[in-house]
Amino acid sequence: MIGAEVRLRAAPKPGVALAVPVPAGGVRAARWAPLAAGFAAGLGEQRDCATPEGRVLLLGAGQPQRGAEWEAVGAAAVRAAGPLKRLALMAHGLPPEAAVALATGAALAAWHPHEAPLRRLDLVVDNPAAVAPLWARAEAAVQGALFTRELTALPGNVLHPAAFAARLEELADHGIRVDVLGEKRLRRLGAGALLAVGAGARHGPRLAVLRWRGQFAVPPVAFIGKGITFDTGGISIKPAEGMERMTSDMAGAAACAGAMLALALRNSPAPAVAVLAIAENSMGAESYRPGDVLRTMSGRTVEVVDTDAEGRLVLADALHYAASQFQPQAMLDLATLTGAMVTALGSHRAGIFTNNAALQAQAAAAGEQVGEALWPMPIGTRHREDLASAIADLKQCCSGALLPDASHAAAFLREFAGDTPWAHLDIAGVRLDEKGLPTGFGARLLDRLVELFFEHPDRH
Amino acid sequence: MPEIAFVKPAMPKHGALVLPIAEDGVPAGLHAALDKACGGAISRALEAASFKGRKGQSATIWAPVEGIARVVAIGLGKAGEISTETAEAAGGATYALVAKERDATVAAEGLPAPLAAAFALGLLLKSYRFDRYRTTEKEDDKPKLEKVSFATDAATACKNAWAPLRAIAEGVFIARDLVSEPPNVLHPVEMAERCKPLEKLGLTIEILGPKEMKKLGMGALLGVAQGSAVEPRMVVMQWLGASGGTSAAAKKKPAQKPVAFIGKGVTFDTGGISIKPAGGMEDMKWDMAGAGTVIGLMAALAGRKAKVDAVGLVGLVENMPSGTAQRPGDVVKTASGQTVEVINTDAEGRLVLCDVMHYAQARFDPRFMVDLATLTGAIIIALGHEHAGMFSNDDTLAQQLSAAGKPVAEAVWRMPLGEAYDKQLKSEIADMKNVGGRPGGSITAAQFIQRFVDKGRPWAHLDIAGVAWSSKDLPTAPKGATAFGVRLLDRLVADHYEG
Repeated sequence: MIGAEVRLRAAPKPGVALAVPVPAGGVRAARWAPLAAGFAAGLGEQRDCATPEGRVLLLGAGQPQRGAEWEAVGAAAVRAAGPLKRLALMAHGLPPEAAVALATGAALAAWHPHEAPLRRLDLVVDNPAAVAPLWARAEAAVQGALFTRELTALPGNVLHPAAFAARLEELADHGIRVDVLGEKRLRRLGAGALLAVGAGARHGPRLAVLRWRGQFAVPPVAFIGKGITFDTGGISIKPAEGMERMTSDMAGAAACAGAMLALALRNSPAPAVAVLAIAENSMGAESYRPGDVLRTMSGRTVEVVDTDAEGRLVLADALHYAASQFQPQAMLDLATLTGAMVTALGSHRAGIFTNNAALQAQAAAAGEQVGEALWPMPIGTRHREDLASAIADLKQCCSGALLPDASHAAAFLREFAGDTPWAHLDIAGVRLDEKGLPTGFGARLLDRLVELFFEHPDRH
Repeated sequence: MPEIAFVKPAMPKHGALVLPIAEDGVPAGLHAALDKACGGAISRALEAASFKGRKGQSATIWAPVEGIARVVAIGLGKAGEISTETAEAAGGATYALVAKERDATVAAEGLPAPLAAAFALGLLLKSYRFDRYRTTEKEDDKPKLEKVSFATDAATACKNAWAPLRAIAEGVFIARDLVSEPPNVLHPVEMAERCKPLEKLGLTIEILGPKEMKKLGMGALLGVAQGSAVEPRMVVMQWLGASGGTSAAAKKKPAQKPVAFIGKGVTFDTGGISIKPAGGMEDMKWDMAGAGTVIGLMAALAGRKAKVDAVGLVGLVENMPSGTAQRPGDVVKTASGQTVEVINTDAEGRLVLCDVMHYAQARFDPRFMVDLATLTGAIIIALGHEHAGMFSNDDTLAQQLSAAGKPVAEAVWRMPLGEAYDKQLKSEIADMKNVGGRPGGSITAAQFIQRFVDKGRPWAHLDIAGVAWSSKDLPTAPKGATAFGVRLLDRLVADHYEG
């Protein structure tokens, strides 16, 4: 269990601080009416009251409709409560979905990598037994997201490729089959791109393959993650300023792993695999260079232009591996891939690029439900043309200023997706929140995507 | 501009003969006649050149019979699948192959009138050349094409299809000329003057100077202009095509609310005190492409007598660093009353647009408003050079624009807006900052502009920084100014706002 534990209760325990969401239009229960006199109940408003039963925190909730809006109220409750060990959330009178979203938001907001005092959340509902199955599903997703955050928060010296692989092996406890392919096997597979990117670091690259069987005898849905445990940029070294944030350059792989954990925890019937390309992009005598030509696992050759565009290289091998080994129904890759994405969409939406409009719509719908918003971005003819190389099958990127590098990267990746329905999520702008803490973006989105579109019994 | 004519089929006596050929097409008309006249040599030559009529294919056969200097075969792709876009691209490709002849005849007997006209449009658009500052170019190096005759049995239908396209091409050329002009020649005063001749087309032109703008409270636009030696201008162009033209009665009581187009016209953008790096700064002469496009569009609408009431407004300034220039930290008051903290003087386009847009809405209460601006480098990083970025508060208008762009090869890609982005503009001293930081740079620019759009007014902002100028030849434009937006917005009007 990561983060605060959520328990369902029928009544608040006296003495425990109680957060009461107040929707626009006033409190639901007469009990709080005296406290709420004159309380406007707009989203974000709060009133802290001392009562004989204990502290009561009134929270303006506005008019929440969707789950993501109830989550925001739950998160506000935790923030308003301050450093407590235990907090109760009043959800009497709320529909079970809203109550669960409230707790989800609270549990996600309660997490912090090293200073999270909140250990216990009481979700106070009319009928705990009726809410319990819904919460179990939601809790799985929360655990997946928090696992993603924990991994992403770890510094580069702690979570190096070997350590990352070891952390993933722990997922076997939840019924996930974990295979970690080391350099020897990668060489046999011809994973020239992943091997080159990882060559400069003390800990060599890995390809981690996670498998969840589910119950349906159908091809799996595949998650492919970029797992650069630290990205110096390599020979094309990054400027010093802000380089410390490159510890989170494995957030894509972490999100895929988190989604697998969520599927396992809620015993999803849908089979799924995650293929995670893990490497440290460092500098050394073995480092790959601009100008190098690499032979990828697919056989295609790639001219390296910038060693700091390493994510698309490791993904090229991971995508090919996933497509050729598993013939998946659909492939989604998640990667903190480009600075261009940050310039394009900022930190409020991730970009989605695809070769399949239906998959794009499904992923976007799942994202809206969990508050992880996507925006479609183009792969144009010109973007692919720009990658023409004089010496290899294609260039990895272009050099110069004002380049549409996110689209170039997507055009590059598409070459390795083959005919499989594929979507690429560039999460560079959304992996960290405004405080620099990992968001876990993607884990819940993938889990919801599977729940919405890959668990229909017709898929048997 | 080569003259375009539609004539009865007759074998040309000189110049080039152009054969538009579909895949598996059977030679007919002039093609068949010529082939027969030279004993099947045309067919043999095309076979030898592996010419199959595929899209993008071409072949040149030199002097097959006396009089005809060259025969140019141009591929159209599969018969039955030929779109106007394909015909335009084929016309564009043809131009380069016949430019050195004085005249060319296109064997267009097999092309329906809309495709023949589209072929002509593509050819004409590709023939654009801005050479008024070349004094030493050798005669041999110059294109010579003066006349292109389309041989067709449907000359009347072709002429009818061609008339509006010719007006659109003229609008495109006006825009390209303005965008290509160097910044010492085309400053705000000169650019405004160049709008006046458009009165001949039936447009009403008003030019406002700093005195009027001051009275209107346009502190944002004037702040950008104050560093330059040249005064700013705002040009208001009206076309009353639905209300019966330029009569006083029509002007007084138009039959409908107009549609409005607003253009950013920074005739040169040094960045001001927040000066740009030297490399590539010469490109900043085309920072008035939004305004140039709006002027070209208004000329196109008037030229083809579009049945719409439309207004075009452009804000013309030069952004210079000097002792009188605006500084980072300045707070300016816009015409709307809202105040802006100027963080970066190089984010000047939005400061110009906001005042012009406010004026346009207050005076004309338009049905919708589209603004065009080479606004951000961020949009180039986001989308590249194939799509303009489109931001809109109205799904219908956004869909109409997306649909209008496809057939004229001026594609737009919708980008998001949202409260979270808007928050990035928060200022400690004024109502807003003029920049929102690097993340989502073109989105925050659009959010800034949206703050000046009246509630409920359909609006779209087209960030054309990546598409106004092309570093390489395009199917229907030589490298340089593209006039992106003239055809897109003309098409938008034609599809949805006429009649």
